[in-house]
Amino acid sequence: METGELILNIVASTLRLSTPLLLAAMAGLLSLQVGQVNIGLEGLMLAGAFTTVVVGFWLGSTWLGVLAAIIVGMLLAALFTLVVTRFKANLIVSGLAINLLASGSTAYLLKVLFDTSGTLSPASLESLPTVNIPVLSDIPVIGSLVFSQSPLVYVSWLMVPLTALFLYRSIPGTHIRAIGQNEEAARSVGIPVRRRQYLALMLGGGLCGLAGAHLAVGDLALFREDMTAGRGFIALAAVYFAAGRPRWAALACLLFGMFEALQFRLQLISSTPPQFFQMLPYVMVVVVLAIISARKEWRKGW
Amino acid sequence: MKTSFVASFSRTLVTVLLALLVGGLIMQLSGKDAMGAYQVLWNSAVGSPRALANTLLAATPLIFTGLATLIAFKAGIFNVGVEGSLYVGAFAAAWVGFTFVDMPGILLIPLAFFAGGLVGGLWGLIPGYLKARLRVDEIVTTIMLNYVAILFTNYLVTGPFFVPGMANAMSAEVAPQAQLPRLMERSQLNISFLLALVVLALVAFLLRRTALGYEIQTLGTNATFARWMGMPVARTILLVMFLSGLIGGLAGAGQALGVHYRFVGGFSQGLGFDGIVITLLGRNTPGGVLLASLFLGALRSGASTMEMFTQIPRDLIDIVTALLIFFVAVEVTVPKVWKYWRGGSKTQMAASGSER
Amino acid sequence: MPYLEVRAIRKTYPGGVLANDDIHFNVEAGEIHGLVGENGAGKSTLMKILYGMEQPDSGEIWLGGQRAHIAHPQAAIQLGIGMVHQHFQLVPTLTVAENIALGRETRRGLFADRGVMRERVRALSDQFGLHVNPDALASDLSVGLQQRVEILKMLYRNARLLILDEPSAVLTPQEVVSLFEVLRRLVAEGCTAIFITHKLDEIMTLCDRATVLRRGQVVGTVETARVTPAEIARLMVGHELEPPLARKASAAESRDRLIVRDLQTGDARLQNTTVNFSVKSGEILGIAGVEGNGQTGLVEALIGLRPDAKGDILLDGTNLHGLSTRDRRKRGLALIPEDRNREGLSRPMRIWENLASGEYDRSPLNTGGVLRLERMRTAARALMERFDIRAPNEGVAVSTLSGGNAQKVVIARELATPPAVLIASQPTRGLDIGATGFVHEQLLNLREQGCGVLLISADLDELLALSDRIAVLFEGRILRIFPREEATREQIGLAMAGKVESEQAR
Repeated sequence: METGELILNIVASTLRLSTPLLLAAMAGLLSLQVGQVNIGLEGLMLAGAFTTVVVGFWLGSTWLGVLAAIIVGMLLAALFTLVVTRFKANLIVSGLAINLLASGSTAYLLKVLFDTSGTLSPASLESLPTVNIPVLSDIPVIGSLVFSQSPLVYVSWLMVPLTALFLYRSIPGTHIRAIGQNEEAARSVGIPVRRRQYLALMLGGGLCGLAGAHLAVGDLALFREDMTAGRGFIALAAVYFAAGRPRWAALACLLFGMFEALQFRLQLISSTPPQFFQMLPYVMVVVVLAIISARKEWRKGW
Repeated sequence: MKTSFVASFSRTLVTVLLALLVGGLIMQLSGKDAMGAYQVLWNSAVGSPRALANTLLAATPLIFTGLATLIAFKAGIFNVGVEGSLYVGAFAAAWVGFTFVDMPGILLIPLAFFAGGLVGGLWGLIPGYLKARLRVDEIVTTIMLNYVAILFTNYLVTGPFFVPGMANAMSAEVAPQAQLPRLMERSQLNISFLLALVVLALVAFLLRRTALGYEIQTLGTNATFARWMGMPVARTILLVMFLSGLIGGLAGAGQALGVHYRFVGGFSQGLGFDGIVITLLGRNTPGGVLLASLFLGALRSGASTMEMFTQIPRDLIDIVTALLIFFVAVEVTVPKVWKYWRGGSKTQMAASGSER
Repeated sequence: MPYLEVRAIRKTYPGGVLANDDIHFNVEAGEIHGLVGENGAGKSTLMKILYGMEQPDSGEIWLGGQRAHIAHPQAAIQLGIGMVHQHFQLVPTLTVAENIALGRETRRGLFADRGVMRERVRALSDQFGLHVNPDALASDLSVGLQQRVEILKMLYRNARLLILDEPSAVLTPQEVVSLFEVLRRLVAEGCTAIFITHKLDEIMTLCDRATVLRRGQVVGTVETARVTPAEIARLMVGHELEPPLARKASAAESRDRLIVRDLQTGDARLQNTTVNFSVKSGEILGIAGVEGNGQTGLVEALIGLRPDAKGDILLDGTNLHGLSTRDRRKRGLALIPEDRNREGLSRPMRIWENLASGEYDRSPLNTGGVLRLERMRTAARALMERFDIRAPNEGVAVSTLSGGNAQKVVIARELATPPAVLIASQPTRGLDIGATGFVHEQLLNLREQGCGVLLISADLDELLALSDRIAVLFEGRILRIFPREEATREQIGLAMAGKVESEQAR
């Protein structure tokens, strides 16, 4: 019975922990598909988390905080787009700059506005209320674990099919993929390339804002400096792992979320060092990329 | 060549001033005295011999990581993995330092640096091999391997090299004779700064005066041509990634032996990534790397004093640095932007190549 | 009244190249009109002007009786002009239907109405006999089918005048046959086509009329029913002979410097073809041929950039098979590559650095891995003097040099020490008359010194003026080798088009 409980426990926290990964991964996927990989996901999330707490606290509404996080995420993403498309700045450098800007300005504002460093947890700020899905949440055992979650958990799961639908079925989404694969072809048939690049990257910015919001108010209601803790890069790993396919990216996020859940639980009962679970996503990406390339090279007859 | 150096230097100066200006604006907007803050910053960065020493101390790892990034950039390789090399190098150096405690310092310190450089270099060879032989994009692999290095070294000091009684993830202290001799009283500035200068000179010599440097330059400016001339392209990539990792490892070794006296998990906080900023600011030249490292080192070492005296968070420096990156990245293409607005033609922008 | 009328089009590119000089021609409605000419005759410039990718300096285009202003491709599409480029503009992971409708999707809210799009594509396929599965991914299609998709893309945009830029260049013979069927069907359905090619048999079988361009000018429009291929070939390559270069009688000795035996370059499109030839000491062997018939593969295989090439390459008796590019160069193989800016130079680097790129790895420029910069500069200055490279000094970047001077840097580097064999691939492309003369002189000098020279050129005049023998490369093999005395423009032109008269291929 105890192991059964443990497993259910792990399932529930996997769902919770993979939420920010899913949202950020969909953002990374949009950026990859439009051909402008954004390694600033981490920074966009952090800015989103900070905004949620600050605006939510000021306006006395957590939901308004979440909305503000989406907007801030989109604005920062617009800055990124401007720099990498119009000014042709290097993608990686610009992404790193976004990360630095986010971590620097959140820490700075934390001290200037609230005269505190490290953590901000306003007492009056409430976390998002748990939402019970009617009927489903009444299923014994599983119901309360899976269908009784913070609302953004459901949103994150909704975002996977929505992103897929957008990219593969909608007209702007099709254009985004066309631009990413053959910008010249897209231009030659009159697609407004620059506008679509903004669209893809700013949608991603909004998703990252949501991801940050979940970190901030999904469970507890607080902001901590660098609380994203590399999740932006894990999301990016999921995207590369899945070679840009939404379903596989979602699966990878779930897997990586499970590693995170495991590392907390197993620490208590097994001797496997937690770092190995933390490392796995990154190692898996390198191995997968190596295998894919090796197969390509062999086929070419090397 | 002279004029273009002056031109690029003055252009960089303009962007630096612009970033500082915006930084000042941010301070004013948050109700602080920007001029006063900058004055404190200046004084605490270069105002006294001790302040200057601390600036050099802060610049030391930046010189290393800047050079590590530079040497790869020169070959057209975007090595984002200096951070990873720095971690494994730091651990290897610390391990030597706390393991061979009976060795005299004159042997132990070089051995520790050697171990740090070697391990850092081998770490760089992983993405290097993947790129040279399998053509795996080095950007993704190096980003990912950074986290592997950070987590793995963290595991080492919480697992096999765990020291009971230590609160944080850190190794045992290195032997006293392995702790780098200081160059000045009351400052941690140590001989690793001198080593950084030596490496700087060696890198400059390598790039300008050796056959390998020539191959690096050719590969970086036109890889197709390098192949058609029969240059050993794969070998050059491997060597460059090894050297880049090696210099990153030396950066880590210097911090472990000269500042922390042990390996501390997660100590770097992005020193390896700073290398990219340094190279960008330094316009891809060894001399530029030195200037940019001194500048950023001054900002960082001055910032903590500034925080103490003016209540302006030191994190402002990160904001300024981020702005600086944007400005430099954008400024590179300013003439193009100009042409774009004047010509009013979209095709011009579309046709202009991207900077790597 | 003709459907399309081109009047007095003139186009000069920056740098003074006159690409189109007073071009007149017209196309009747419902016709397949051929446009032929050698490389550089001005065909692509003319097509780019028709499709709005380039603007003419002067001249008019009339379409269906009205003056047409074609400022950009979108305007051309509006006017019903469609173009199938040589390089397809498809998005690999989109389906055929999505590619065809790209940018012109039928909307249903935010989404594309795939059903309607698929139906329209299917209807078009049926109407024009262009069968292709609308749900297949573009990346899964053969080249021939990709081309169909490109044609459908134009028809989907209601193009009535289709311009096809060398559509057969990338196709297998079977695919060419079905392309022709498609084009005939299109015309039967009321379209008009301009078919660009330099293959004479295609003109003869497919086109009603053909306009021949030569050196930017129209040299005639012919009705294919009334002329022979030879007559068109004569128009293409021209009659006039330039004054022959001062060229001594054959210096060829009997010694073979380069022997190429059963060489397979590993080109995917030219499988199962082998190349055989030899170059003697003191001989210039010209390689004629329409581009894309295996020249690139041949050069890359010779210099060692095709690891999967098979066959023997003997340089002064040593087999180069399996040797690296560097080792081949060290054994005396020199190369003037086709694209000097990509393959022959590093433009951001300085003149002296570029000049040293063949010798930097050994004495005297290199002692123990350390470069002797002074020696490099001195050597560079001497070479600049010897090869008349015009530049302020040896320290300026190659990117600041004119095309001719940049090419001289390549030549100076390759000929600094006399090679055993020089491969010169399109060595005068894009050069002015003076620089061209200089290059020719250098090649003849080498010949007199007893080197073997392999000259690959698209310029027949150049080949005729310089070569001791001319080999014609067609679809990956040497169709025939003409001794100088027997080489005439007509014969070579026909061979280039795949037509060999009487004699067997050697």
